[in-house]
Amino acid sequence: MGDTTPFDEMHNADGSVREPYRALAQWLDEQPDKALTLMQSDAEAIFRKLGITFAVYGSEEGTEKVIPFDVIPRIISAMEWRKLSKGIEQRVRALNAFLYDIYHRQEILKAGRIPEKLILQNSAFCPEMMGLEPARGVYAHIIGTDIVRVGPDEFYVLEDNLRTPSGVSYMLEDREAMMQLAPDLFSRIKVAPVENYPENLRRTLESVAPAGVSGTPNIAVLTPGIYNSAYFEHSFLADQMGAQLCEGPDLFVDGGKVYMRTTTGPERVDVIYRRIDDDYIDPLTFRPDSMLGVPGLFNAYRAGNVTLVNAPGTGIADDKAVYTYVPEIIEFYLGEKALLNNVPTYNCVDEEERNWVLANIADLVVKEVHGSGGYGMMVGPTSTKAQHAEFKRKIEARPDNYIVQPTLALSTCPTYVNAGIAPRHVDLRPYVLMGEEVRITPGGLTRVALKKGSLVVNSSQGGGTKDTWVLED
Amino acid sequence: MRISIRHQLSTTPPAGSPNAVLQLLLTPQSGPTQTVESWSVEMAGIGNAERFTDAYGNSVHLVNQRPPEGELVVTIEGVVTTVDRHGVFGRVGPGPVPALFKRVTPLTKAPVSLYGKFRGSKDSRIDVLHALMARVGEVLHSPAQVQSQSQDGQSQSQSQGGPTAAEGEEVAPELPRPPATDYAHAFIGAARALDIPARYITGYLVGDEDDPAAFHAWAEAYDEALGWVGFDAMLGLCPTDRHVRLAVGLDGLSAQPLRAVPAGDGPKEIGVSVEVVS
Amino acid sequence: MLGRTAQNLFWLSRYVERAENMARLLEVGYRMSLTSRREGGASEHLVSMMRAAEVDEAFEATGRQADLDTVAHYMMFDPGNASSVYSCLLAARTNARSVRTAITIDMWESLNAGWLEFSQIKPRDVRGAKLLGLLSWVKQLSHEFRGALLGTILRDDGFAFSQAGNFVERADNTARILDVKYYVLLPRAKMVGGDLDIQQWTLILRAASAHRSYRHVYHDRYKAHNIADFLMLRPEMPRSLIFCARYIEETLDSLADIYGKREGCHEAATKLRAMVEGTNMETIFAHGLHEFLTEFIARNNAVSESLSASYNFY
Repeated sequence: MGDTTPFDEMHNADGSVREPYRALAQWLDEQPDKALTLMQSDAEAIFRKLGITFAVYGSEEGTEKVIPFDVIPRIISAMEWRKLSKGIEQRVRALNAFLYDIYHRQEILKAGRIPEKLILQNSAFCPEMMGLEPARGVYAHIIGTDIVRVGPDEFYVLEDNLRTPSGVSYMLEDREAMMQLAPDLFSRIKVAPVENYPENLRRTLESVAPAGVSGTPNIAVLTPGIYNSAYFEHSFLADQMGAQLCEGPDLFVDGGKVYMRTTTGPERVDVIYRRIDDDYIDPLTFRPDSMLGVPGLFNAYRAGNVTLVNAPGTGIADDKAVYTYVPEIIEFYLGEKALLNNVPTYNCVDEEERNWVLANIADLVVKEVHGSGGYGMMVGPTSTKAQHAEFKRKIEARPDNYIVQPTLALSTCPTYVNAGIAPRHVDLRPYVLMGEEVRITPGGLTRVALKKGSLVVNSSQGGGTKDTWVLED
Repeated sequence: MRISIRHQLSTTPPAGSPNAVLQLLLTPQSGPTQTVESWSVEMAGIGNAERFTDAYGNSVHLVNQRPPEGELVVTIEGVVTTVDRHGVFGRVGPGPVPALFKRVTPLTKAPVSLYGKFRGSKDSRIDVLHALMARVGEVLHSPAQVQSQSQDGQSQSQSQGGPTAAEGEEVAPELPRPPATDYAHAFIGAARALDIPARYITGYLVGDEDDPAAFHAWAEAYDEALGWVGFDAMLGLCPTDRHVRLAVGLDGLSAQPLRAVPAGDGPKEIGVSVEVVS
Repeated sequence: MLGRTAQNLFWLSRYVERAENMARLLEVGYRMSLTSRREGGASEHLVSMMRAAEVDEAFEATGRQADLDTVAHYMMFDPGNASSVYSCLLAARTNARSVRTAITIDMWESLNAGWLEFSQIKPRDVRGAKLLGLLSWVKQLSHEFRGALLGTILRDDGFAFSQAGNFVERADNTARILDVKYYVLLPRAKMVGGDLDIQQWTLILRAASAHRSYRHVYHDRYKAHNIADFLMLRPEMPRSLIFCARYIEETLDSLADIYGKREGCHEAATKLRAMVEGTNMETIFAHGLHEFLTEFIARNNAVSESLSASYNFY
């Protein structure tokens, strides 16, 4: 788990600079006073101009914020990345095989490797998906694996995010901003490109078009609309890959096929990258009150006339309760040992473990099973006694609704703050595409907790982002 | 028994709707208990319909009309031959694993008073299920219980479009029986609470002096030895050759015969006739 | 292109044009109320400007007295007034967000920056000279947006929908200004207008930003006949009915070229233009100016409605 001093990604314990950061450190040394301050304010102007904003829930209408961007990039060596990306690929392949299995023959349940009840009674399991054959057998095409680092050679997967992971537009815009802010740095350091992501996304989506589509498949991005917090990303991705950005009412089902309403009449849609939650995609099959979805869409999917990306029901594979079984899942389907670690997780339903958790709550992280975005969680060491007591009550009331993990000493990266350059905790979300092949964009989105000592990196909780550089050999 | 069925339902999308989309679970399949001789589903737009098999193995029509013109009437006609297998459907079909049908849905939450005394029972599963069927019938037949059931929010048949006590149905005035869907949901909820897979079945019932012909609902529970076995708690018996099986689901919602968006005032039953022919 | 995208582009331009027209009407009402010589004159001018903006009844329903402050607030900032500058800019930006991928960065930036700035303004602080300053800022914003549009947008179907929205709104606005004051434009026995007439005529010309260009065209003092002619039948006047009607027809013709098909809206546009083509003020006066304008407004609405039906707006 690493000791209590967090791993500093730039410096060795003796203060010397780690190899991957050597060129960056030298460049930082050469910068005149105030250069970084200037860069930081230029960066803000760039982001505002690009219109990269996110809406904050619960705040006044029309208030949109720019996610803070830190001008010092985070660096990952080529070797470190090879190891990481192999581990990630292994995970997404296994999880897709798992999804195929549990929506078909359920061998893993028959083999008793995962309790049947945990899957079949889980609200994230989607019975309507049973027996459905998705194109190429892929369920989760777009994945954002959340990873933290605790040591030179120690990475943990926090969450697999197989539903509709967001944030990839920040990865792309962070790089865009960085190239504008410090072009000279790119001439000194060879960084693996991330710019191919939209093209690769397009290829991935095309590769999972339903059988029988001739010519170039017609792709649509389905958004809940302009009031969604990730609307910017939806329009950005549609724009970047030349797909149509649609809202539910733009699409309709006719004769079991999906069409968009255009100025020249109906136009057939083959692949839908939907950024609407499962429950809302089709009022005929799921929530009848949904105004965001398309009536008949799921049935058109079931009939094989359109591909939904990601498939509904993928949430079962990133369910926090199923998470514990991922190493088991990898072994079962791939016959390999998991390359990346899972964070040890305590099971509160077990009385003995629960008692231990309740006694040690001040050192632990508590997460709601169905929570996300940093909501419904508590980081023991940085929480008050009252918060500890509150979560103890919650766990006792509904032990199955929480998972508990040790507090990881997340690695830190040098970050530009008011006081100058200081270490701040970071995590990493690499983006994976799975269609006819697995494509992992080198790097990903690094989120940084800007508050000193804080371990919560979510943008809704005061986190920022950094450009993430994977070095080329 | 050779049975001729004619069933009409309708739905009226609100005026001005650009597109009405309907999902019909109104096509029976041949199996151990029945052979479908002929079957037709007619409505405006059916020629353009998509047909597919849903997650529970049902044959589904996805029909739409763009724009819909007033009331949409669905007419089903067909002939099915049934055999009496004492309710045993068996282990046929590609459907999902039985364990899926332990999943509790909002419509299948049963009060512990219904199943409590069977928990830990030493009897065989089949015996327990028969006793449970009797218990559900007894509890739901009693008017006082019916009321408390409704207050528990168990009686949701109307809004869920399952088969309901049709108007003019001849029932004794002192015993207004709840609709078949309530019996099925209560039985299923209780069985699942006892860790027994149970599923919801829609179908048709040949009438007799006690029970008029109707669009009907009952339950099937899973027994390791026999496979799926039907239980009709409303009639207090295992399905006979008077029962024609139509569709399977987790509950009345997932096996709803007609679902439409926009829903308007919901589906209406125009009429059903189920007659024995030779 | 999605039908909704076409709709958003159409309304985006309409709202920007409307915001500009609201600002102009309010400016005229404000000026006139300052120089009015009669008792009660101030509120009368303001009310007639609100009538031209078609918000007079809604204002009356608020129960407020029409004075400079209440009217300025109602036309600038009131979210309850669907045509207030506030509502127009918000609606324009909302439409723009929905079609973010169909408009250029320059178009988006001019609107977005404009909205962010406008939404920071506290209505309480806007009085007197500050009001005039803000009104001219609104006009500037509209010009900037139009400039960004003309300078950067592809000349495709999106451009056509956007232009159609702009000119349908403008035609409507000019026709309404004329209709509100049509009685002062009618030919009368007395050929020379009195002070009151002059004031009304100035108001009409200003409301159409035409008080200076009038002189360039006619080299003459204000005359009712000329004013009506200028705003209705002069093809070089970019806010005149004939200019707008011709432009709308051309724009829709370009859509027919792009899509290779004529639709119901093309007929509607031709019917609109036919009203102002090959006629003169004498004929129009003989048939009745008010009746003419009412019919023009109706045909203009018909263009908007059939456009929406022809290209699957919803």
